[in-house]
Amino acid sequence: MAQVPPLPFGPAAGGLPGVPDQLSVETTVDQERAIAQPGVKSDELAGAPELGFWRLAVIRFFHHRVATGALLILGVIVLAAVVVPVITGGLYSIQDYRHPYKAPFQNWQHILGTDDLGRDELARLLRGARVSLMVGILAVVGYLLIGGGLGALAGYYGGWLDNALMRFTDIIISMPFLLVVIAVTAATGGVRLSTVIIVIAATGWFEIGRLMRAQFLVLREQEFVQAARALGASNTRIILRHILPNALAPIIVSATLGVSGIILLEAALGFLGYSIPPPEPSWGNMLSDFEQYLLSDHTYLVIFPATALVITALAINLVGDGIRDALDPRQR
Amino acid sequence: MTFYLVRRVAIGIFLLLLMSAIFFTLTRVTPGAPVSVGENPRIHEEQVNRRLHSMGLTDPNGKPYSLPESYVRYLGALVQGNLGDSYQYNEPVRTLLMQRLPNSILLLGAALLVALVIGIPLGIYASTHQYSKADMTTSIVSYVGVSIPSFVLGIYLLLIFAVFLKQTPLHWGFPLFGMHTGGVDDPLDLLIHMVLPVTALAILQIAIFSRFMRASMLEVLHQDYIRTARAKGLAVERVNYKHALRNAILPIITLVAIAIPQIVNGAIITEGIFSWPGTGQLAFQAVVDRDYPVILGVVMLVAAGTVFFNLIADVLYAVADPRIRY
Repeated sequence: MAQVPPLPFGPAAGGLPGVPDQLSVETTVDQERAIAQPGVKSDELAGAPELGFWRLAVIRFFHHRVATGALLILGVIVLAAVVVPVITGGLYSIQDYRHPYKAPFQNWQHILGTDDLGRDELARLLRGARVSLMVGILAVVGYLLIGGGLGALAGYYGGWLDNALMRFTDIIISMPFLLVVIAVTAATGGVRLSTVIIVIAATGWFEIGRLMRAQFLVLREQEFVQAARALGASNTRIILRHILPNALAPIIVSATLGVSGIILLEAALGFLGYSIPPPEPSWGNMLSDFEQYLLSDHTYLVIFPATALVITALAINLVGDGIRDALDPRQR
Repeated sequence: MTFYLVRRVAIGIFLLLLMSAIFFTLTRVTPGAPVSVGENPRIHEEQVNRRLHSMGLTDPNGKPYSLPESYVRYLGALVQGNLGDSYQYNEPVRTLLMQRLPNSILLLGAALLVALVIGIPLGIYASTHQYSKADMTTSIVSYVGVSIPSFVLGIYLLLIFAVFLKQTPLHWGFPLFGMHTGGVDDPLDLLIHMVLPVTALAILQIAIFSRFMRASMLEVLHQDYIRTARAKGLAVERVNYKHALRNAILPIITLVAIAIPQIVNGAIITEGIFSWPGTGQLAFQAVVDRDYPVILGVVMLVAAGTVFFNLIADVLYAVADPRIRY
């Protein structure tokens, strides 16, 4: 098979037997397969599953080289963050006062060197990755539950809930978000990871809420919803089975980009001492002593966590953009 | 228009009241008595009570005010321009804010100006040369710009321009920390100290402005009246920069208003990193010291500024675009 078969867009209109017309503009899936694979009869392929929206989106995503590469990098980071700390155990917190500030890339025992207390930098970075990813993913789940739920209800039912949602968003937008999170974190008993996650989820969900509301506002007027209602479907069923699947595409993109935003926010909080407390490392609190490291020439202790943060955020953003292109090719 | 303005101002005041209530409650329910921070542990109880009273937390009999009561007292003082006293500096928050505000306005204004002057032309160029190498480069730069938080960018800039450059044989680089002489006694010194923090703050906004400008221009360039203008035989430059630009640049007004709280957000950490003596550094230090009256003061200042700039942006938009009627 010399040529790559074209992506089969559009619905399959049932098996059309016979030689396909190569000049016709609208070819069916079966005809395209017949063109691509001349030896195979179309009848044999008729039973092959038709490619759905999500399957097509996955194919489109992997045709996007940058996004695929970013996903690969992200996969390596996630895998390392999940697997390596299990193997190394408590290595990240073992102090070795005889060997502080060991330079990186010098020996195999500490590949990325050691920090001011002689702790292994690589183990700390990976442990920090765990913290960052956990906060990012759990807080986004919170966004989806709160924002998605309230947005869907506000968009579907309208009324006071809708008004309240919009006014709340106005308030949040006009506030310096970092100070808000800090004030709430401090007020709710301070620096535990669970508090940080809850506070971020509770204050950051409005963007997804607005998006969900907009989707529901448009979709609830569509004919297929009217049809479902005419058939006697309950509101719950219409929301969950008919509107929600159609509203998901932009929400998924926004949630993906949200993860990187949260990771950066958590790092900023950690940097200020309002996230997970030491000795637990996070990329943010590893940077909080940056002045000391810059002035004492141990710059690698600044470069590693900062770069880890940027690479992760960039990879997530690129994956999110790839998903956007895959789900809605018109926006490219 | 007048009715619209009155309504907007009323909504703005309501928002500020609501926010002050939320933040006041938050800072009051926070555990840890303010006196216990950095205080002699063997201090006499009477002295503690006297200090609590001078902070406005208790009445003359030493009984603490209830939450609604103290909020009303706070509001009453707020109307007179009194934001309470800092726990850390023993000075009115208003004095502290007024000392720092000019420095912040200088830094943030410069960052915004730089972002506009670089970001908008970049976006316009990228849109008129869509899919060219310059366009791709702009996209990549804006990607990276969005993925680097300003505090990491600030640390990178310090690393490269204040540490590595100084170690080269040139022995030249930008100063590690901000504003030596303070004020405008020495404009050149001030300018040199501004380079790194302004860069750190501007890059995110350059990314946002150029991306937005590109999208906005592309949208306008595909409209019918542009095709008509081209069909009449007008020069490409004239169509692009006269007909299209005028409409494409309008939404930037709103974007600038949205950018202001973002820049302030970035400035809290960036000013801290570069030791720039502005409101952001004050907030940064207050966050570290848990100096809640100062945090509250900065939040209220930023909120008032945001509400004000949003109003200005909407009015300006109506003035600039005659199609909009309120």
